[in-house]
Amino acid sequence: MDNHDRDHRMLAAFLAGELDPAETRRWDEHLLACERCWRAVREDREGRQAAQVLRQPAPPGLADRVAFAVEVAAAGRAAAQRRTGRGIRSRRPGRHARRVRWRLAGAGVVAAGVVATLLVALLPGGRQAGSVPAAVAAVARYAQAIPPPTGEHHPQRAAPVEVGRPVTVMAGGQQIVLRTWRLGGAEAVVAVSGHPFPMPARAQGVSGRGMAWSARLGRLGLYCLNGRTSELVAAPVPAAQLAALAARLPLA
Amino acid sequence: MGADHRAFLQATLPHLDAVWQVARQAAAGGQDPEDLVQETYLRAYAGFGSFRGGNARAWLAAICLNVARSQARRRRRRPWEVPGPALLDVLPWSRADGGESTADVADVVIAGLDAEEVSRCLALLPEPQRVCIVLVDVAGYTAREAAETLGCPRGTVLARVHRGRRKLAQLLAEAGVSHGQP
Repeated sequence: MDNHDRDHRMLAAFLAGELDPAETRRWDEHLLACERCWRAVREDREGRQAAQVLRQPAPPGLADRVAFAVEVAAAGRAAAQRRTGRGIRSRRPGRHARRVRWRLAGAGVVAAGVVATLLVALLPGGRQAGSVPAAVAAVARYAQAIPPPTGEHHPQRAAPVEVGRPVTVMAGGQQIVLRTWRLGGAEAVVAVSGHPFPMPARAQGVSGRGMAWSARLGRLGLYCLNGRTSELVAAPVPAAQLAALAARLPLA
Repeated sequence: MGADHRAFLQATLPHLDAVWQVARQAAAGGQDPEDLVQETYLRAYAGFGSFRGGNARAWLAAICLNVARSQARRRRRRPWEVPGPALLDVLPWSRADGGESTADVADVVIAGLDAEEVSRCLALLPEPQRVCIVLVDVAGYTAREAAETLGCPRGTVLARVHRGRRKLAQLLAEAGVSHGQP
């Protein structure tokens, strides 16, 4: 390290307030007499002030967006771990373990049958969608927060009003922009993506609308239009009202 | 879904503003800084199990810089290229914290143009100096945190910041922009 480089580092440490009192005093005295070093101090201050002009507060919706993206990733990770868990247990066990497993499996089949029957009987809209692609699941999860429509809404007369700010997430390898709209007494989430939303296993095609499909996930109705961009509307309304609601919303 | 993502968010969300400052300057080739922040947090969450409870701010900044670099390589564009139009949104009326909105219009316009010029000059600095200035002066990291982020001695960070500030001031002076006190 030559003298010039050492002076640079000493001056940097002096400006950062990291020298001991004796060295600081020596530099203070030196600066009174050395025009070259004083210019270096002045330029350092100017550069720092200039760089600080670039500070800008984070956008208000960014924390929500990040938190939601992490929640979606956590849900995906939990599902993957459940699948991996099954894979590990599928290694060939001992005879006793196999016997226990057959009994548990039998009980599981009975329990699953009971649960499936209850789901079909109790869930609004009848059948629950089966295998749900990650992108659709992310939209449905986001739309879970929407309250049910109030009784006195008149969507045919109301103009849609955006609620909150748009949220962008990545799910299933596609970027999705989520917007919440209020129309009369009903609210709906409109998800827009540059890639088509995959059709869940039990979704139904919408006749006369090309690649459009509709599905039901618990209390949520889903209505998807796949075109140059893909729009997925999710709302806690009966299936019969969903297409009419989607037609009144700004989709793209 | 367990409690790990809640622990992760609790440990990292307080540093969102610092990551945002880094992402705004590191986003390259038309990359959206908000996307970069989101990708940073998703990568950090994926690696949270191996995070040993050090300085989360420094850890997040290192991930953000790595993500920006790898995405810039993928796009085959120059890293640290700051898009001009995005810089005009530093205008005071865009402050989310309800900052001054009564500033004189001429001052506001000049401030916006200054920010654009500062960003242009910052982009001309060698990358090591530029990164150190972004971390310390723009994002508010301490020299120790910046050193941890970059994996280099603290004295090196201080020297890079000093050289970078001086060069930045000289470039701005050549461009006719001054930020110093008389």
